[in-house]
Amino acid sequence: MASKEILKIENLTTYFYTWAGVVKAVDGVSLDVREGETLGLVGESGSGKSVTALSILRIVPRPGKIIGGKIIYKGENLLEKTEGEMQQIRGKEIAYISQEPGTSLNPVFSIADQLTEVIRRHQNVTKEEALKRAIELFRIVEIADPEIKVWNYPHQLSGGMKQRIAIAKALSCQPSLLLADEPTTNLDVTIQAQILELMKNLKEKLGMSMILVTHDMGVVAGVADRINVMYAGRICEVASTKTIFRNPLHPYTRALLEAVPNVALRKDKLKIIPGTIPNLISPPSGCRFHPRCDFALAECASTVPPLVEIESEHYVACIRAKEFTEKTVRGVKR
Amino acid sequence: MPTKREGFKAIRFKVHNIAKNSMTKYVLRRLLYLIPIFFGILIIVFVATRMAGDPVKLMTGLNPRITFEARERLTQYYGLDQPLYYQFLKFVWEMLQGNLGNSYAIRGGTAVTTLVGNYAWETFKLQLAALFFSLVIAIPIGILSARKQYSKLDMTVTTTSLVGTCIPIFYMGIVAILIFSYFLGWFPYGAAHSLDPTRYPFGSYLLDELWHMFLPVAALTFAELAPVVLLVRSSMLEVLRQDYILAARASGLSERTVIYKHALRNALIPVVTYVGLYFGGMLAGAPITEKVFNWPGVGRLYVEAISKLDFPVITGITVFVTLMVLVANLITDIAYAYIDPRIRIE
Repeated sequence: MASKEILKIENLTTYFYTWAGVVKAVDGVSLDVREGETLGLVGESGSGKSVTALSILRIVPRPGKIIGGKIIYKGENLLEKTEGEMQQIRGKEIAYISQEPGTSLNPVFSIADQLTEVIRRHQNVTKEEALKRAIELFRIVEIADPEIKVWNYPHQLSGGMKQRIAIAKALSCQPSLLLADEPTTNLDVTIQAQILELMKNLKEKLGMSMILVTHDMGVVAGVADRINVMYAGRICEVASTKTIFRNPLHPYTRALLEAVPNVALRKDKLKIIPGTIPNLISPPSGCRFHPRCDFALAECASTVPPLVEIESEHYVACIRAKEFTEKTVRGVKR
Repeated sequence: MPTKREGFKAIRFKVHNIAKNSMTKYVLRRLLYLIPIFFGILIIVFVATRMAGDPVKLMTGLNPRITFEARERLTQYYGLDQPLYYQFLKFVWEMLQGNLGNSYAIRGGTAVTTLVGNYAWETFKLQLAALFFSLVIAIPIGILSARKQYSKLDMTVTTTSLVGTCIPIFYMGIVAILIFSYFLGWFPYGAAHSLDPTRYPFGSYLLDELWHMFLPVAALTFAELAPVVLLVRSSMLEVLRQDYILAARASGLSERTVIYKHALRNALIPVVTYVGLYFGGMLAGAPITEKVFNWPGVGRLYVEAISKLDFPVITGITVFVTLMVLVANLITDIAYAYIDPRIRIE
């Protein structure tokens, strides 16, 4: 498991400067992605997972700004690169698939135009060659009649098809790292499965690493090797997918898993996490989850819990994490 | 069905052909719609003018010695004694032959076609120049303002535009004449040409024309500028928030490509609508501007014709303006379909 890291984020801080105040969307996030692995980045809406992904490419929309930290990609800090150098990395080294398949393609240009544009931006090829390559990519993402479909405009295609094209566009320059921001959220369940399967296969075939941003525990369970759970701009638990599902330690992770419907348990009611994600302009002191946590102590409101390795390869940011391990050992599972 | 071996150009040509055919159909259908609209407008204006009053009475009202018989003869001469439907059908029949009648009031019955022809060109010249300059200035300013939202530049632009929208053109025009013609003496007070050829700057007719155009074009440009700036700005802001802009940035395209290719094309869609509607209307002339600058345009002619109940001129200009508006709308629709493929294929 201990393969080389392709991306290492240290203490990344991204704030949004709005009229209402400074939104601390990502506040000291550290994570690493190893070569060839799929890292799941899980959390509720507004937990900062998408902003983390955008920060890696340095395309955080205004009024967002990366305040500090390091993003080390293949040994180089991306935050020290010039805009021109970043443009060479975006799409070529690190590709991005956005949430909405419907809106991630420009409605006024044909698919051929949009694909060849990206291909020609990063590779020195003629228009005809770029088109051939685009048609090839259509075959790779399993679209029927690629020679015809490539001339379509986005509005002529279905959501699943558009997401396949978004994937094709992301893969067009054979990136080493793929950032997939909720790639299946807006698709039908059956299409979701197809797209996930496709991404998984392509990742293997091309030997990429991937960060899969999602709020859907079901999606990460099937695809991710390791999971980072994010809450209110911070990472609260890191472990392999197996560990996260079998032995979650952070109360937030547990709550998140309990909120997933499970037919086998035959419960009538789903457990919900009380309250909403906090306002990130003035987040709760100490552990950001403490106002919603069933296990909170007085101490939780004052101390920021560090991310501590509880077992090998299992990091938890909770001061009571050790206790929870013991309870689980005694069989007091959730 | 194109095969794998077919090159970029061959496939593109095929697709282009299909688009062109559907485009032709689209244009033809739009043209068919124009016919009932055109005649509808014509009927309304024709009936409304004849309800407005009696031009013969207006013409002879100041003559105390006019006899009843003389009035009757005039009414008969102008054909106003005939039933309304007969007058209308006669008008349509003559119109289809390219004859819009003769003016009651202007220089012993000048042909309306001649009048409209002369005056329309002056209006067209003025408005086209103003539209051109306002777009050329407004679009880059709007884009810049949107890209730097809430910056000092953006604040200045939006405030100035709001003030600009609020200042009426007759005020602007009069102030401009006061400053640049009266105090500084740089430009003429009005009219389209110098009456005396010896006053042409450097003896050039063209320069004289441009010299006379400057102030009215500047005033109109300023008036049209502000709303376009605000429209481009808001439309651009909307587009810049879209996912495909983020996606375009994420695929490593340069900022220039992202803004001027991906964002601008989308942001221009509402601007095209605006300009299309505006363009149609402005061919009717800007009566106020033309009055202020004493410009021999359609707008001024229209207002004068109405005040004199000059029926042929009123209907004649109406025919012209209606046609122009309809054509402008058609051009807008075509431009629309060109920019936005979602409209092209239905």
